[in-house]
Amino acid sequence: MTERPAPAPDDQAFVRAAQRGDMVAYEELVARHRDKIYARAYSMMRNEDDAVDLSQEAWVKGWQRLKQFQGESSFATWMTRIVINLCLDQLRRQKRYRAESIEMLDEESGGVERQMPVVTVNPTERLERTELRQRIDQALDQLSETHRMVLVLCEFEELEYKEIAKAMKCSIGTVMSRLFYARRKLAALLADLKKPE
Amino acid sequence: MNAEFQLKLQAYFDGELSAREAREIESILAAHADARALLAELRRTTEVLISHEAEVKLPESREFYWSKIQREIQRQEAGSHSASMPRPSWSRFLMPSGAIVALVLAGWFGAFEMGWLSRGGRSPQIETYLADSGAMTYRDEIERTTVVWLSYPAENEFAHADPADTIR
Repeated sequence: MTERPAPAPDDQAFVRAAQRGDMVAYEELVARHRDKIYARAYSMMRNEDDAVDLSQEAWVKGWQRLKQFQGESSFATWMTRIVINLCLDQLRRQKRYRAESIEMLDEESGGVERQMPVVTVNPTERLERTELRQRIDQALDQLSETHRMVLVLCEFEELEYKEIAKAMKCSIGTVMSRLFYARRKLAALLADLKKPE
Repeated sequence: MNAEFQLKLQAYFDGELSAREAREIESILAAHADARALLAELRRTTEVLISHEAEVKLPESREFYWSKIQREIQRQEAGSHSASMPRPSWSRFLMPSGAIVALVLAGWFGAFEMGWLSRGGRSPQIETYLADSGAMTYRDEIERTTVVWLSYPAENEFAHADPADTIR
């Protein structure tokens, strides 16, 4: 009879050890969730260097606030909230030095997204996975930071409108409008994806 | 479809509507193909986006990534530790004396900068000749000038010499 390997300890054991000051345990938590935290930062910043820096900053903050973590959510979710807040702060700082994008003006001056024809988004049938990934990346790059942010918070983090509004410091109506614009623009960009016959 | 309905349809898709509002939307969906098409578009866009998200991987090795985090944690902890260290009671006496030392150093440095203190033989010098304590010279190397002050009558052995020696 072959012996089954012992299951890897769950996050809780490492969190408790890290809360007592065990940095080796914290390193294990970083190793387990670093890709997820980095991916979230990257989806918001769309820049590898910024995403690496902000994700590392999030892990430093996570260590400092670890005693506040009570386990109401999973550790990964808790860390994701930290990195999201850091990204939002960073984007706000950057935005102070930049004019609003044309997309924002579009959105506020009448909502072109509402007149866009409905499209069938089905690129997976015709594109290789790698190519599809590249094209989605390009489409996301074409969204403004504000629209990308609302999309990330809704689609990936599955936050409610009121939570997104709180994080982005805007009204629920604005969240709905931005989200609709972002989805429709993305759908339009992805509808063009056709592999040459 | 007006703008209000479009946003409501999106809210339905995101599960943000009450049960009553959701039923209203469902009855409209049953009757309107364009509403169903828009809902399908929202759903498919979300599916594509979520399937894409899983592919992103950190471009750095575990050790390299962790080393920077660890260094920053240790740096911040060292900073906060030294800031929170209690000071010994005698340290309060050091503060005024430290200020005095700082003032003296600042004064010395200022004097040095203004050229009041010697700087490698290039500054003006005042010399007194011991042979004649009534005479004093001033030498400015920069201006290449020497000025000599003589007290009169001199208070030394020569003061009482024969007046014939004196140039008239």
